[in-house]
This record gives sequence, structure tokens and C-alpha cells, in this order.
Amino acid sequence: MNSVRQIWDDANESKMSCEVLIIGSGAGGSPTAALLAEAGFDVLVVEEGRWVEQGTVVPFSLDQMEQQYRGGGVTVALGLPSIAYTEGRCAGGGTEVNSGLYRRPPTEVVERWRDRWGVSDLDPDELMKTANEVETDIHVTHLPGPASVPSQLLRQGADALGWKHDESPRWMTYPDGNPRHGQRQSMTRTYLPRAAKAGARILTQCRVNTINISHAKATSADVSLANGQAGTISFKFVFVCGGAIQTPAILQRSGLRKNIGQTLAIHPTVKLSARFADAINVPDDVPVHQVKEFAPDLSFGGSASHAGLIALSLLDQWSDFKGAIEDWRNMAVYYAAITSEGRGRVMSVPGLVDPVVTYRLTARDRELLRSGLSRLSLLMLEAGATEVYPSFRGAPIIRGRKDLALAQKRFSVNKASVMTVHLCSTVPFGENRQLCGAGSYGLVHETKNVYVNDASLLPDAPGVNPQASVMAIAVRNARHFIAQENPHA
Amino acid sequence: MALAPSLHSLVHPTACTVLRHDLPGLPETVAHEVATFTVRRLSVLAAHMRLGIAVIALLVRLFASIAGQPRLLWLSKTHLPLLGEYFRLIRSLSYAYIWEKWPDTRSDGSPT
Repeated sequence: MNSVRQIWDDANESKMSCEVLIIGSGAGGSPTAALLAEAGFDVLVVEEGRWVEQGTVVPFSLDQMEQQYRGGGVTVALGLPSIAYTEGRCAGGGTEVNSGLYRRPPTEVVERWRDRWGVSDLDPDELMKTANEVETDIHVTHLPGPASVPSQLLRQGADALGWKHDESPRWMTYPDGNPRHGQRQSMTRTYLPRAAKAGARILTQCRVNTINISHAKATSADVSLANGQAGTISFKFVFVCGGAIQTPAILQRSGLRKNIGQTLAIHPTVKLSARFADAINVPDDVPVHQVKEFAPDLSFGGSASHAGLIALSLLDQWSDFKGAIEDWRNMAVYYAAITSEGRGRVMSVPGLVDPVVTYRLTARDRELLRSGLSRLSLLMLEAGATEVYPSFRGAPIIRGRKDLALAQKRFSVNKASVMTVHLCSTVPFGENRQLCGAGSYGLVHETKNVYVNDASLLPDAPGVNPQASVMAIAVRNARHFIAQENPHA
Repeated sequence: MALAPSLHSLVHPTACTVLRHDLPGLPETVAHEVATFTVRRLSVLAAHMRLGIAVIALLVRLFASIAGQPRLLWLSKTHLPLLGEYFRLIRSLSYAYIWEKWPDTRSDGSPT
């Protein structure tokens, strides 16, 4: 795969130029790069992180966090409570490190985006056709055999309660037919090689500091390289695809602030560990089943569960829970995720390299998280858990239904470990200029050639894993751009 | 990274003290390795978080030097905003490292 890359040092230049600069190589940037390069544009992709080959790091390990996550995996949205979040920082972005679960955006969500934010020509049927193409490109498929035991337990618990559940497909291939041997079809395996094959250049360890804009037109970007040198990249068009945190930060540093970074949306989650009579732990994978009985407000699923993450889940009440860690092979971590009505901010502060992120949960969010953790505890009891350990300070060990009321009474979101892996909506797209930072195809309002094409565009949290929405919209927008700016015309 | 040396001197002793108390069976050499890992991780956080941690860590060290180790442990169990999150961050990184690297470690930190 190294042959498809060109590292800045190899180019040996402090100034480069291209027709289209794409900042970021995740779920938005990579399809954009592939489609534009294949249409004949001279494309340069810059990525702040490194190129890390799949298989060289253990999934969900601290080593992976160090190599492929921003801040070593420790990034926080400040608030009461502060909410931990994660951002991929490597070639392929979040697609290299996430669970690989795939969910199309619900039709009613697409209709809401179209109607409330005034997104022109956002037809749900057309978007689903585009999603179909993406699914072929990244090999979205169900497991070729039985799911892991932690996944089956989730399903069994839901069945016992009569709750709706399903198996989420993943962007994986299974070369030997073994469901445990899936190969992630992330951006470094799919769209980035495609972009390179069509002539795109891909530069890793290259951070964009600012985009230089004059009279609404961007002309170049000032960048920093791994060796500490500064550089400049001139271009005709720029697509900012750094994700829901970095994209607004780059735009703000470049002087663009209207409706940018003010409406961060997330899916907050709380979690628990469930202990069973037998060994069930799968250290390097996540369950594929999800419980959707209360969706879109509330969903349940499983998390990565190696011993280090089990210890982390027990941390908030360690004095009472610590004995369980010696039985980690019989345990797994599960989560309750909500569709939040709260909003957050991304603020680029002069003098600080990283943006300050804040998030505020609403009273409704807090109540949903409380009932979510309680219902998830019940689900795990029905799945056969002998003990349930909710992750909040002061939590009791739940051994039966009689303990649920006490747990719910003691729960407070401010005492819980709240986190999220889904971030979006910091540059919402649409024609409603009171709400939107970009137009219906991602062109930043009041600019002539600065586009956004990533999770930032989603007007609000979709209530499902957002990657499918991000990719389908990115492809839609890239095609519109090609039609408008056809290099062969 | 520029703050790493000062963060080390501010955080490492506190992390070792907390680990010795929480996990009395943890070998001393392991406690030092874990504390070193924790500081290394803190040193790559976002700049404003590093700054905040450095300020809290400095105040904690001053408190420990005046009030002594038992009071530091009392402080580590409080749940005040920022202060509680500082100690929680130390424990999170440390525990995750210990049980990821040595998954059969006992709950008191002693090796199997």
C-alpha cells in the first residue's frame, strides 16, 4: 500500500499546488478524493495523522489509541458532566478505528434535514441509491456465521423481553468465511487506493493551520509538516473534511465563523459491565447486535471489552467492584446510547493549537440516560448476567430486578462516565442561512470555493451510526461538484 | 510535548502514591512504569487540557507537601469538579494500562 502514497518529504518541496485540495482522509474526504480524481481533477489529499497499516496494531488497544487517535484517545468536551469523545487521527480517519458497524440514515431523518434546514434536492430515495453504491464499494455485509457470544447475549436478553433487535452489517470481508476473521474495508483499503490509482497524491503527517481567503475566495493553505517545517499549498478549490471537530476549527482559524462550530451534536452513551457464569469475553471485537426497541431515542449495543476496558468500566465504584476484574473473562461491556437534544460548541482559540469543545446535556437527555442504563441493566439480567456493574459513582452491584430501583435512584449523569464516538453537525448544510454554515452541496456560505464534505454537514444527530450518512452525502456532493466544475468541459 | 518534563515532575509522584494506595500489591517497579505511561499520555493531550492538568497537578503537589501523603489520598477521593477529574484521569489511564498489559493482575495489583 505504501506505493500509493507520496509523503511530503519525498516531494522535497515547501510549496505545492493542486487543483483540488482535500483536507482529511476519513469517511468524507476519501470518497471525495476518489470521485474527483477519477473525474480528472488534480487532487491532493492531506492528512494530519500517519498511515498505519491494518494488522500492525491491536484493535481497541492503548497502542492503537496512541498511533491512530487524536490525543492518544483522550479528548473531552467540557461540561457538567464532561463527555469523553474520540477522533481518528490517521490515514482513513475514524474508519480505521471504529466498530465498522453500518446503518443507513432513516428516511424520516433525511426528510427532516431537507425540510427543516432547507437542503435542496435531498431526495431520500436518491440518497439510498447512493448508499447502495457505497455499500458495494466498501463491502457492507452481515456475518457469514454466528455472532460472538457477547453479541448473542444481547440478542437473547432482548428476545426475553420482547424487544426489537437486529444485526448491524459491517464494512468487512471474510476471506476464509470465518466471522472472527473479518478484514475491515476502511478508507485505506477502498477509496484511498482508488483515489491514488486515479492520480491523487496523498500526503500524511501534514497539518493544515489556516486557509488563506481573500474576497471570499480561498487561494492557498498554510501547513505544518512532521519535521516541523512550514509549507504552503495553493489550489483552485478546497474541501475541508477533517471531521466534526477539526473542520470547524480550521474554518474558524481561517476567519469563517457564521454558523460554524456552534451546533455540535452527539450520541451520548453510558455503560456497564455484565458478568456471566461462563467465559464470554472477546477482547478484540465488538458485538454486531443492537437493540432498537426504543430507537431513535435510545439504543443498546456492545463495546470493546478487553481486560483493560473492563477495568475502566469498573473504575467509578472500584472499592465495591474491584473483585470482578479477576473474572474479566466472564465479562463484557455494553452501552446505552441516546439521541441527544443538547448541543455543543467547537471554539478555535488564538494561541491554542487544539479547539476547545463544550457540550451541554438537556434535562431530557439526562433522564433518557438514567432510564437507558436501567433498561440496559434489565436486559443484561434477562440475558443471564449474574451481576451487573453500572459505570457511575455510587452504583450498586445489580444481581436481580429488585436492585434496579436502587440503581436508578442513585444514578446521576454527573456521576457517570459519559462518552461518545459519534460527532456531527458543526457546519450544517442547507439553504436556511439562519441555521446553516454551508449550502446544500457543502459550499461554505459567503465563500466561492471552500467546501465541507464530512460529518460536520449532517444537520443533527441521525440516531444511528452516522458513517453511512456521511459517505452517501459526500458522494452526492462530490458528484454535484463534478457536474458543476467538470475539468473536461 | 514541551510541557512533558514539568508534567512528569508534577504528576508522576502523585500517580505513584495513588497506585500504591489503590493497588497495594502492585510491584514498585510496575507502579513506576505505569505512572510513566500515564504521564506520557497526558503529555499528548490537547494544549488547553495539558495546561489545566499542569495547574491542578501543581496545586495538588503543593497541597501534598504541606498536608502530607494521607491528606493527598483523601484529596484523591474527593469528587470536586476538575480536581476529581484529574485523579480520575490518572486512575483511568493507569488501570487501563495495567489490565491491558497484565490482564491477570489481581484486584489488589499483585501479579498472578
